[in-house]
Amino acid sequence: MAIAVLLVDDEETFVETLAKRLTLRRFNVYTATRAPRVFETLDENLIDVVVLDVRMPDLDGIEATQKIKTSHPLVEVILLTGHASMEASLEGLKMGAFDYLIKPVNIDELVYKIEDAHRKKVLQEEKIRRLRDQTDETADEAGSGASD
Amino acid sequence: MRRPTRRVPAPAIDMHDPSWWRRLIDRLRGPSGEVPDPEAARELFQRRYHALRLLLAANTRALKSMATMEQAVLSNRIFPMAFVRTHCTAVGVNVFKMVRNLDTLAPEKYSLLFERLQAIQREIDHEIAALPRPPDTPFVLPMSGISHQHLDVAGSKMATLGEIGNDVGLTVPPGFVITTSAYESLIAANDLQPEIDRLLQTHQRERIDELFVLSSMLQQLILSAEVPTDIADAIDDAAAEIGDPAADTTFALRSSALGEDSADVSFAGQYESLLNVRRTNLVASYLEVVASKYTPQAMQYRLQRGLRDDDVAMSVGCLWMVDARSGGVAYTGNPGDREDDSVFISSAWGLPKAIVDGRFASDLIIVDRAEPPRITSREIGDKKTKFILHHREGVRRSDVEEDLQRQSSLTDTEALAIAEMAVRLEGHFGTPVDIEWATTNDDRIVVLQCRPFSQSMRGLDHELPADTPAPLVRAGVGASPGAAAGVVRRVGRDADALSFPDGAILVLSQPLPRWAALLDRTAAVVAEEGGVAGHLATVARELAVPALFGAGSLDALEDGIEVTVDASGRAVYPGRIEALLSVPGVTPDSIPDNPIRKTLRRVLTHISPLNLIDPDGIDFKPANCRTLHDITRFCHEQAVREIFAFGSDASFPEYASKQLHHNVPMQWWVLDLGNGLKDTVTGKYVHLEDIACKPMLALWDGMIAVPWDGPPAVSGRGLASVLFQATANPALSSPFKKPYADKNYFIISKHFMNLQSRFGFHFTNVEALAGERPEENYLSFSFKGGAADRDRKAGRARFIGGLLANLGFETGVTEDMVTARRTNLEHQAVEDGVRVVGYLLMHTRQLDMIMNKPAMVEHYRKKMQADIEGLAED
Repeated sequence: MAIAVLLVDDEETFVETLAKRLTLRRFNVYTATRAPRVFETLDENLIDVVVLDVRMPDLDGIEATQKIKTSHPLVEVILLTGHASMEASLEGLKMGAFDYLIKPVNIDELVYKIEDAHRKKVLQEEKIRRLRDQTDETADEAGSGASD
Repeated sequence: MRRPTRRVPAPAIDMHDPSWWRRLIDRLRGPSGEVPDPEAARELFQRRYHALRLLLAANTRALKSMATMEQAVLSNRIFPMAFVRTHCTAVGVNVFKMVRNLDTLAPEKYSLLFERLQAIQREIDHEIAALPRPPDTPFVLPMSGISHQHLDVAGSKMATLGEIGNDVGLTVPPGFVITTSAYESLIAANDLQPEIDRLLQTHQRERIDELFVLSSMLQQLILSAEVPTDIADAIDDAAAEIGDPAADTTFALRSSALGEDSADVSFAGQYESLLNVRRTNLVASYLEVVASKYTPQAMQYRLQRGLRDDDVAMSVGCLWMVDARSGGVAYTGNPGDREDDSVFISSAWGLPKAIVDGRFASDLIIVDRAEPPRITSREIGDKKTKFILHHREGVRRSDVEEDLQRQSSLTDTEALAIAEMAVRLEGHFGTPVDIEWATTNDDRIVVLQCRPFSQSMRGLDHELPADTPAPLVRAGVGASPGAAAGVVRRVGRDADALSFPDGAILVLSQPLPRWAALLDRTAAVVAEEGGVAGHLATVARELAVPALFGAGSLDALEDGIEVTVDASGRAVYPGRIEALLSVPGVTPDSIPDNPIRKTLRRVLTHISPLNLIDPDGIDFKPANCRTLHDITRFCHEQAVREIFAFGSDASFPEYASKQLHHNVPMQWWVLDLGNGLKDTVTGKYVHLEDIACKPMLALWDGMIAVPWDGPPAVSGRGLASVLFQATANPALSSPFKKPYADKNYFIISKHFMNLQSRFGFHFTNVEALAGERPEENYLSFSFKGGAADRDRKAGRARFIGGLLANLGFETGVTEDMVTARRTNLEHQAVEDGVRVVGYLLMHTRQLDMIMNKPAMVEHYRKKMQADIEGLAED
């Protein structure tokens, strides 16, 4: 199944162009140019990776990362910025962002990051699925033990 | 509690078989006796491998950014602050990712690294931060109180002018300065800086079209800003106080940016000056001058001179407009000859704008400094046009009265007075100066500007061969000496500039200052009009671009033809005239450590030095990571160790690895991180044909490609025997006290290989990633030790380093250790490199013994180079 990517940036032309390029690379691309759409899209769709502009008029990317990681912990966030700042980048990574990319974006690099982030998500999901199965098994065993 | 290490026979291993994982888990059973799910172990292993892979990719990117910064600081290339910020951020991000992934491999074991990273980041941020501004400066300051000590708030142009009026006692126009404090408030109140930084970061200024687009966006951003009321009021109050209501005073607004007109940079004409502005329009005009910080030529000029955008705060001088009878420029020296200290005065009727814009014909008067001074030369231009004040606002062109056109625009007395003023200012400031002046109808001479003046070396004399073709142009003045050849490109509009090819000859009608944006890609400039005193001429001399101005009609210079411009000889020839081009050129006044390069140099002290050298030294710990390079080194080393420490059991590799079998059991063990083997492998051995890891197969190929004929001779048991001896010398104790030091391990996946091994008496590490992402691929190699004495061991390290450097590796040699690295390669190129390394591993094993015999060293060098070339052909 194609990796589902949500692109968030207030520069509409940038989002459109990037969305086209990622679609050509066989990603399933969603876009949002305003803050409210970000969380609506996350709630309504199975998003794997969010590519998020750090600085939008109505959205602070660092805070948004924290919110996304709280409400959708498995979704990976890649921060994108036109403001190269070590302090801000480390802040974003500490908030749980998977990576931090500086504009102008090298499309190959972005694709690699998205694939790596997705791989991390898949591994996390496998772990959770296994833990859940284990818990179910334990519960079943406990249940059957009770009936004996 | 840690289980004691124990030796067990290696079990049959099949990592694709769930039972293998169950057996592994049995081995890794915790103290509580709980048995984790085999599936859990597989997932854990995969997550650990993924973390290792991300860590290695981040390492490659961090090292790449470091190398790019180191190269930039050592080279002559120009780069903006965005380059420094981008690479610092990239290194910081990747180092953080390394620390985080190491934390995944060994949770909380190296948490101190996060603190070290943050501390180093603060130091780097401190180096990158813009200069602090003086606090609490008023938005405006009257010129009557300004001197050189106001440089930080009034900019050098106005601080210098204030000093000329107040301390030297020459006449300057009254007025006031809108300080850098007003500029900072304007930018802050409109929250402009983040957007300015973003635009600068995201546009590539190397492309001329992008430069023009960027310039337009930045200027628009500032022009649409709102001037805060307190600044607008301060400007208006100051204008009311200084102006003469009866005379309806108008003002000249002159840029006075920080860093402008300093000793090394002139910024001649790069910013806007607005003339004859009414009081009611001062605030809007102020914004216009501030916006001119981002004209294409000013941005390009800052880039060329390595000036930081954020250090250039713009203050603006508001001076009484002088209604000039005549005006111009004076230099306290010959601009084209450092040996000549005569005063060169360029003069025209009306405002000096005619001269500094380089538009119209002018007079050139040369004054010798003899006692008493005397005029030694007077060239009277045919001055048909002048600039005068418009009766409402601004300036306009006007025809010069016919009887004045061929008349000198300065009397002898005025010329000598101007020369005396210029020499006095040279004495006061202790450097040759370039002054802009005006004479008034009431016979005063007013100094409008003064800046340091740098002279060029005189062009060398040369003789042309007899068969030199006749020149296409022979006229004008050498505004900047030297000669250059290129293809003619005439430029008249901005649109022409967008397609200006690198290395062309810029042909202009008027040498306007705005064409300075093209000078860094121009071989030489030729203009129909202008002289040595224009702003473009000044910048051309600074950048050592030959310039021939005032050459008259240039119809003979058709677009696309190749010509040679001889600015010193005042001629343009068809084709390339090698005799002219072979004359040593004039080099630009260099700024060896411009502000941006200085910043980068300081930043790199927190990034590049490697203090953690020995992984087994007692100092090799997080607390001792003083630079980002130290952190990468520590993370890389520990990550590989932690892969072995899987399950908190130092004997993990015993269970998870297989012994390599090639005809006989070899002294190498193979640990597969995933997909490194073709298929399920059962039993304790893995055979070469089971290996899917391409770098490992390439290394093997290289090892066996050429029979080894060096000492000691290959025994009858052949290669297996050689390899066995090479890797299992019981007398040899490892200098690397790793948990896995007793054995030689290949850690592999399909595209990755890490080999820690001993060969003969030396130790080696080869690591390669050869996947589908060239940007992440790399090959690194280190080699240390030997059996000979220190000098010979070091000689071998240099020998190997030299061979690898010839192949494009970045190499470093410290005593008997050589490190080599190549990055950014297609997987095939990585494999080819690994093959060479494999060859070297085998063939340099005992070369240290002969390193004191130069003839033999040379023999082996030639042989090995030939062998390596042979490998490439295979």
